[in-house]
Amino acid sequence: MQAYLARRLLLTVPTIFGVTVLIFLAMRVIPGDPLAMIQAEGSGSRILSAEQLQTARASLGLDKPYYVQYLEWVGAIVRGDLGESFWRGDKVRDIIARRAPITAQIAVMAILVSWVIGVPVGVFGAMRPNSRPDVTTRLTVIVFLAIPSFWLGLLLISGSVLWLNWRPSLTIVYFTDDPIKNLQMTVGPAVVMGVGLAAVIARVARSATLEVLHEDYVRTARAKGLPEKAVLTIHVLRNALLPIITVSGLALGGLLGGSVAVERAFGVPGLGLALVMALAERDWMVIQNLVLLYGLIFTVLNLLVDVSYSWVDPRIRYG
Amino acid sequence: MKPRTNRVTRRQALKAAAVTIGSVAIWPLLSACSAAPPQAAKPAGEVKPATEPKPAEAPKPAAPAQQAPATVAPAPVVQPTAMPEAQVGAMMKAPEPNPKRGGVLRTAWGATTAHTDIHQGGNNTVLIQLYDGLITKNLATGLRGFVPALATKWDVSPDGKVYTFSLREGVKFHDGTPFTSADVVATFTRIISPPSGVVSIYKDELAPVAGVDAPDAKTARFTLKNAWAPFIEVIASPSMIVYPKKALDENNGDLKKVIAPGTGPFVFKDHKVGEQWTFERNPNYWNPELPYVDRLEMLHVAAWNDRGAAVMTDQASFSWNVSPQLWEDAIKRSDLGGAQIPCLNSHTVMVNNTRKPFDDPRVRRAIHLAVSRQNMFQAISTQEPVFLSRWMPYASPFSPPNAELEKLPGYRADKDADIAEAKKLLAAAGYPEGFENVEIVTPSVAQWAEINTPAFQDELKKTLNIRATIRLVERGVLSEEYKGGNWDMLLEGAFQSNYIDPTVLWTSHLKTGASINWSRYSNPKLDTIIDQLNVETDDAKRKALFGQGMDLLDENPPFYLIGFCAHSPLWQSYVKGMAMDKRLHVEWGRLDTVWIDK
Repeated sequence: MQAYLARRLLLTVPTIFGVTVLIFLAMRVIPGDPLAMIQAEGSGSRILSAEQLQTARASLGLDKPYYVQYLEWVGAIVRGDLGESFWRGDKVRDIIARRAPITAQIAVMAILVSWVIGVPVGVFGAMRPNSRPDVTTRLTVIVFLAIPSFWLGLLLISGSVLWLNWRPSLTIVYFTDDPIKNLQMTVGPAVVMGVGLAAVIARVARSATLEVLHEDYVRTARAKGLPEKAVLTIHVLRNALLPIITVSGLALGGLLGGSVAVERAFGVPGLGLALVMALAERDWMVIQNLVLLYGLIFTVLNLLVDVSYSWVDPRIRYG
Repeated sequence: MKPRTNRVTRRQALKAAAVTIGSVAIWPLLSACSAAPPQAAKPAGEVKPATEPKPAEAPKPAAPAQQAPATVAPAPVVQPTAMPEAQVGAMMKAPEPNPKRGGVLRTAWGATTAHTDIHQGGNNTVLIQLYDGLITKNLATGLRGFVPALATKWDVSPDGKVYTFSLREGVKFHDGTPFTSADVVATFTRIISPPSGVVSIYKDELAPVAGVDAPDAKTARFTLKNAWAPFIEVIASPSMIVYPKKALDENNGDLKKVIAPGTGPFVFKDHKVGEQWTFERNPNYWNPELPYVDRLEMLHVAAWNDRGAAVMTDQASFSWNVSPQLWEDAIKRSDLGGAQIPCLNSHTVMVNNTRKPFDDPRVRRAIHLAVSRQNMFQAISTQEPVFLSRWMPYASPFSPPNAELEKLPGYRADKDADIAEAKKLLAAAGYPEGFENVEIVTPSVAQWAEINTPAFQDELKKTLNIRATIRLVERGVLSEEYKGGNWDMLLEGAFQSNYIDPTVLWTSHLKTGASINWSRYSNPKLDTIIDQLNVETDDAKRKALFGQGMDLLDENPPFYLIGFCAHSPLWQSYVKGMAMDKRLHVEWGRLDTVWIDK
């Protein structure tokens, strides 16, 4: 196991390296550089001369060869320096420290929402497979799976503005400062993303429960006279939860990254919105480091899930 | 009893996994406890004003035949040659009597800024609240005249080449440094001749200025290369603020990463990137009347739907421009005020005059005549109200009245005669059946990509059988497209300037070889008129020159001008002091005259 863990940890190094190269190149391949920000201001009514553009590029260090820019960036990360915004000089570390809590809170709440909805729906369907309620809940689940979460978010916000004359705060309010305002801000995005994920959880829960229900130990439990409730909670659910935990772990990474559109729809100033803003401004340093953060989170969660397989399922052994 | 082993049990493993995953998710939450920002005070409960503000009269944007928003009769004087005596020593104040003091003004629009140097492109709608210019447009007269700011008066030499500004005594920057003429010289010299590493985005606008000097500590003198009529309006622009020489010297002339102290009505308090700016009242402001509010909280709300929602729900008190749909709903409410105010931005289809067949003026005039502006307005109306304009903002004192305009060929709603004439022109140019392989470049921003450009493409085909394809590009790279000229047509809003006097607009966009003459237009007769407009200060003569210029442009159009737009500001009724009902044009400018009627 230790050898496997060491190997997996080693494998993350080229993965992260690949991520850094991809982000770095992507920023330089897509049209428009940070200078576009200056020129876009005024929509073509203002223009910089070639000389002015060269001056601006030099001031941002963009006149250096790509490999020098890349090595400088990676070197800074290795030293623990996440850099700063090209323009304002804001530290990327500070941006993450301020906004990540809200994004993470929304992601965790969305996972909770998905469990609260998805697990009972999935188990209910598995207990009465192909019955009318099962078909109905499966259809409902598919509908929520198909609805884009940002669209649902827009509907919620529009409805609350037009009918309730209310919308959540546009600036960050932490739970520790004002729990009510914080929840007003985070519940909407969490519900919207959680409902979508609940559909996935429900499907996983249904199939896992169905599989477990046919296991010998469940038949044995029933044969020895355990009440159905005890069979379900002690023997079925506990074992069926394993794939749900795995899916939720991976989904957490997805929720952190996927919050971009939902944060935009709700106007929640989380990490996703910071990334959108940085993209609009072509603030390469912020984009590179935020995308790298997302990449790291995914890599770490993947590693944890891989490692957890052997722990949660004793049949799995890594040589 | 179970034997103890060193192996991890499944139960322990599951707990460990849960704790690990939970920790990954929760660490930022914990860090929030130490990173909590101070919370903004919520404005006091909504109070219904004694008298409801009446929204400025405005047409339904969707109406096919639109009328320009009602404005107060234009005052033709936009280029006074010296400050009127009555204005010497005057100071800006709220347009209403007895304004109240105190309270918080929360605003909502795109308040993010790439950096903090206004003269290098920083967001002037936010940062100018910290600074002053030499003079400013007079809010009391709806931005039709000028009032002193850091300069108490100005004089012009008989040849119109030297402007001498007398500076205000006793003004200090927020850090206590006295304001002197050295600050004016340092600021404007940097714009005109930026030092190495500084990108001066207003350099072109001040190109007619040869230099700035200071005869003494309280006098600043601008010497122009030639007499230049728009100078005073340019210098009164909200962006022409004065930076302290000290800050410029300390930062090698580059203020992108520092918030230099200003002399303005508000002082910087806090900035949460991409969220909010907080400014507080400057207790030592040189104008004892201003500002009225204690604090200014400028929220970053990029999308105009969100801006409208923010004002409707009182998350913000005011926004300069919200989406037309929300605006129409909002102004029906008694607790909200709204207006539609002429803006200085246009919707334009740039036509590349160097490419066939658009190098033929008959082809360009055919398009000018045939494509229905009214149909284009209707298509755009879900995004922005746009109005008939003849080569300049319809709010300009030099623009013909709407009633006259809507009878002119090309501008009138009835297109039969125009289309017949356009087809004759196309036939004369060698295209009796129309033509194809035209490429329209347009930014991927929804309003252009999804509405304006397809609408224009459809009009071209329907009226003249010109078949065009659309190429989307990201807005950030449009400047490269403009410069490269690798397009037949480009639909965006590039025909615009910051000034109500169209001289600057025409000089920069229409003069042969001008820096942003994107259509590559060349008309020697128009060039002569533009040269005369730049030096002529007599309004009657200027009006005649503009008339001749517009005739030339109708005959030989550089591109297709759809029209100039209006902005739709929205505010809570308790917000006063904006003179929205008087404004000649929108100006996302100073907020020092705003007061809260609570």
